[in-house]
Amino acid sequence: MSEKELGKKWDRCLADGAIKFGTGLGLGIVLSVLFFKRHTWPISFGSGAGLGMAYANCQNDLRSHYMLHRSEKEQ
Amino acid sequence: MAAKILPVVKLATKVTIAGGALYVAYDSGLLGSGEQGSEALGKAKAAIPPAIEEWMKYFGLQLPTMPKIEFSPVQSWNSGVRWTISSLSEAPTKASDYTSQGLQYIKDLTK
Repeated sequence: MSEKELGKKWDRCLADGAIKFGTGLGLGIVLSVLFFKRHTWPISFGSGAGLGMAYANCQNDLRSHYMLHRSEKEQ
Repeated sequence: MAAKILPVVKLATKVTIAGGALYVAYDSGLLGSGEQGSEALGKAKAAIPPAIEEWMKYFGLQLPTMPKIEFSPVQSWNSGVRWTISSLSEAPTKASDYTSQGLQYIKDLTK
């Protein structure tokens, strides 16, 4: 993986993390206000879940260079 | 009769709003892979100035134009890293030079 590719992957990871954190935060706020009587825990749960999704995406992305993909499998 | 249906209606409204929020998040690719997320971010960034224009026209105000800030945090960080590493690598040589100069000065004093 060249340096440029790696840099781009990290950029994507950070942007993705920010987006998923914000989305989780928003959904957590909506759920907290609507269903959970304005407690704080849905908000932290949502943002944590967002960060976790971003982490998993980033891990997959960084590993994909070293994995064998289905399209490259030879008969 | 209305008092009996009201809790159900409230619950149905809440579920609709929550479900709508979830659907919007899913549909705009916010919960997908990294590339979808950065696409959505790009679209949002591109859509902000026209949206602000619309709002300004609606309210009849005029926001002062943002001054173009020529500051790049990436450039600053990179140059900072380079400066640190180069000064660390030159430090032993410079230290020995300064000590030898200091010793020479003291020797000259005591001559």
